[in-house]
Amino acid sequence: MAEKMVLSEDEALELVAFLVTAARTQVDEAAEYGPLRLLTAAGRLAELIAERVSPETRAFLMGPLKQIPDLAVRTTDPASYVAALDAVCRAVGEHLVAHFGLDRTSS
Amino acid sequence: MNSVLEAIRTRRIARALTGEPITRSELEEVLKAARWAPSAGNRRLHRFIAIQDPLTLKLLRMVTPGMFQRPVAIVVICVDRAKAESFGMRLTAKGLFIDVGTAAQTMLLAAHSLGLGAGVVTSFSQAAVSAILNAPEGLSPEMFVCLGHAAPTQPAGMPTRGRVTWQSLTQWERFTP
Repeated sequence: MAEKMVLSEDEALELVAFLVTAARTQVDEAAEYGPLRLLTAAGRLAELIAERVSPETRAFLMGPLKQIPDLAVRTTDPASYVAALDAVCRAVGEHLVAHFGLDRTSS
Repeated sequence: MNSVLEAIRTRRIARALTGEPITRSELEEVLKAARWAPSAGNRRLHRFIAIQDPLTLKLLRMVTPGMFQRPVAIVVICVDRAKAESFGMRLTAKGLFIDVGTAAQTMLLAAHSLGLGAGVVTSFSQAAVSAILNAPEGLSPEMFVCLGHAAPTQPAGMPTRGRVTWQSLTQWERFTP
């Protein structure tokens, strides 16, 4: 597996700034915005790195990770929201297994 | 329908903007409109910071988790806390923040009338924004009015929680026991 930089210093700073300021704004904002902000951060990271990652990771970033609408929140339909998050998390797990070759490792 | 009601009913928050710039004169028209917004006691405790510099806009977006759009201009609505205190107002007085809303709504309608896209954002770090703008102590940034041209495709808005009508929002006269 090739190790390469997929994020520049400017881009990394942008994400750090987002996360730190989101921690502050979340103190005052509705709790349901917590997952939304984390997903926004994940989405921004995905956009920043998409052109520099493997085709498989790019497909994951542009596919399953984008399945939850930008402004989706829990309260409208909690069960569906959690199910959608679980689906994305499942896709994360499956991509990790494939990317790191766990399915090709003999136990 | 008269043009004011038409504008009120057709205005929408733009959460996706194109990169097309807006002119200085368009931005000035939006600011001129804000000057006519209602202000509690006509005290005018608000200040507007107008930004078109691309790098400043980029840095502001970095510290604004609630900003989905990429505006080509931002008007930051600030409360002049020092001036408010000079009137003997507590800094938690609701009028200070109601006036932020009236200024913002006036700017949104002005932008809409000019064919611009606009949206408001409050999810930002006031400390970080103050640092980026070199804002003097006593001036607190409270709301962004993000401006540009609305993209043809907009992300779905926050879902409504039940059908909202003017009747569902209104109680006539007194509540019955």
